Amino acid sequence: MSKLKIAVVLSVSILLQLLLREVWGKLSYIDFPLVVVVYIALQRDAWQALVVGTLAGLIVDAASGGLIGAGGFSKTLTAYVIYFAATRVNLENPLLRIPVLAAASLLDSAIYVFWHRVMGYPPAAPFVQTMSYRLIATTVVGTLVLFLLNALVGERNQQRRQFATRRRVARRSTGPLRRR
Amino acid sequence: MASVRTQKEIRQRAPIWLVSLLVANLIIMAVDAKDSDGSQKVLRIWTQAFASPLQNASSKATGATSGFFQQIWNFRSTAQQNEQLKERLAQVETELHSARQATDENERLKSLLNLNEQTNIKNVPARVIARDPSVWFNTITINRGSSSGIEVNMPVVTAGGIVGRVITVSPWASQVMLITDEKAGAGAVIGQLGQSGALGSVRGRADLGVGLIEMRYVSGLEKVEVNDYVMTTGQDGIYPQGLNIGRVVDVKNGTATTAHQILIQPGAQLDHLEEVAVLLYHPPPRSVPEQTPPQNAEKPRR
Repeated sequence: MSKLKIAVVLSVSILLQLLLREVWGKLSYIDFPLVVVVYIALQRDAWQALVVGTLAGLIVDAASGGLIGAGGFSKTLTAYVIYFAATRVNLENPLLRIPVLAAASLLDSAIYVFWHRVMGYPPAAPFVQTMSYRLIATTVVGTLVLFLLNALVGERNQQRRQFATRRRVARRSTGPLRRR
Repeated sequence: MASVRTQKEIRQRAPIWLVSLLVANLIIMAVDAKDSDGSQKVLRIWTQAFASPLQNASSKATGATSGFFQQIWNFRSTAQQNEQLKERLAQVETELHSARQATDENERLKSLLNLNEQTNIKNVPARVIARDPSVWFNTITINRGSSSGIEVNMPVVTAGGIVGRVITVSPWASQVMLITDEKAGAGAVIGQLGQSGALGSVRGRADLGVGLIEMRYVSGLEKVEVNDYVMTTGQDGIYPQGLNIGRVVDVKNGTATTAHQILIQPGAQLDHLEEVAVLLYHPPPRSVPEQTPPQNAEKPRR
């Protein structure tokens, strides 16, 4: 995935995260940057996944009331765990991405809250309830977003589209008029 | 090519990158946690400075969009009636809606002005332009910053009661920690200071959510009842004395040795904040305790 595409997708996800709570408070349960981090980690590029995880986490941290670095830490570690799993297990099947997203959301929440508690900065929201809502919202919406990302910026789909175009061109050149 | 890394190289280097990034995050976190209540954070100020125009625009767009949908909704509901009435009704309702919005805003701003007269403290009216992007914290962002004279730790209030305190200030926006946050707190008294001995402090509690706050350290010997008003004492170094915090909604009576367990409904509607006022209040400097012993004190015997 090209760096420009990653930058665009990441910026859009962070903007959505920053702005959607103003529209409706419940939308903040969806962690859009985490979905992008999961998507990039599933592409099996460790460096991109780790950098995107750190950047996404740090920017959201800076706009939030929590500790700067806690989100960066949790998203970086989550990105690595998913990258590690993706290099050992075949996670290409879209259905398998649902539990991956759920696990990512759980892991991210747990690490985030753990560091806040360790640093003496307990979150203002109840842990289990918030984590559950976040898991459900991120998994449901994230599955759709992953599907969209795959269709729009996925390299395999692009290759498929290019191949289809080439095949169409090839067919045109061997049409009935040419054959004569 | 030397610059192109093979998959094997990437796999070998990934743990090193991971550890370096995690350590970097941990250092940032530790530095942030160390002075979380004190000085301003550069990263936060910059993010806020860049994000505030976007948040401002989004806040306006959100209002416009909801107005648009409201109009569509009004139009749909009147479509069941005849065409003439529908047009007239849609027009009237739209006008009424905007007039009501203007009246509400007018009322809120008036009450903020009244607040200025009541407290005799200069204030800066501000609009809430964003809420915390993380679901774990309850901060809001307002559209006034250091260019309007706002400083860290200044109290933020509405006509209903206190909202919280400013924790970060950028030139055009500020971040406010709500009173429902566990890290927030205020010196409080049930009733009027001087008339009541039910002194304590209010603070948020994670399991109570954004709706309620708890009051601690009120002696079990003091008489506390549901619906009693809770005011600020002015002894916390942030809020001036006599501001409304809320009213008591639940009391579990304490004893001579244990404190009451009191839950308070904040006076300000914290989940529907639109306009707030930042009090340009600087608490009086605390008197430094005398370091020298009294002249007539006896020297300790060795």
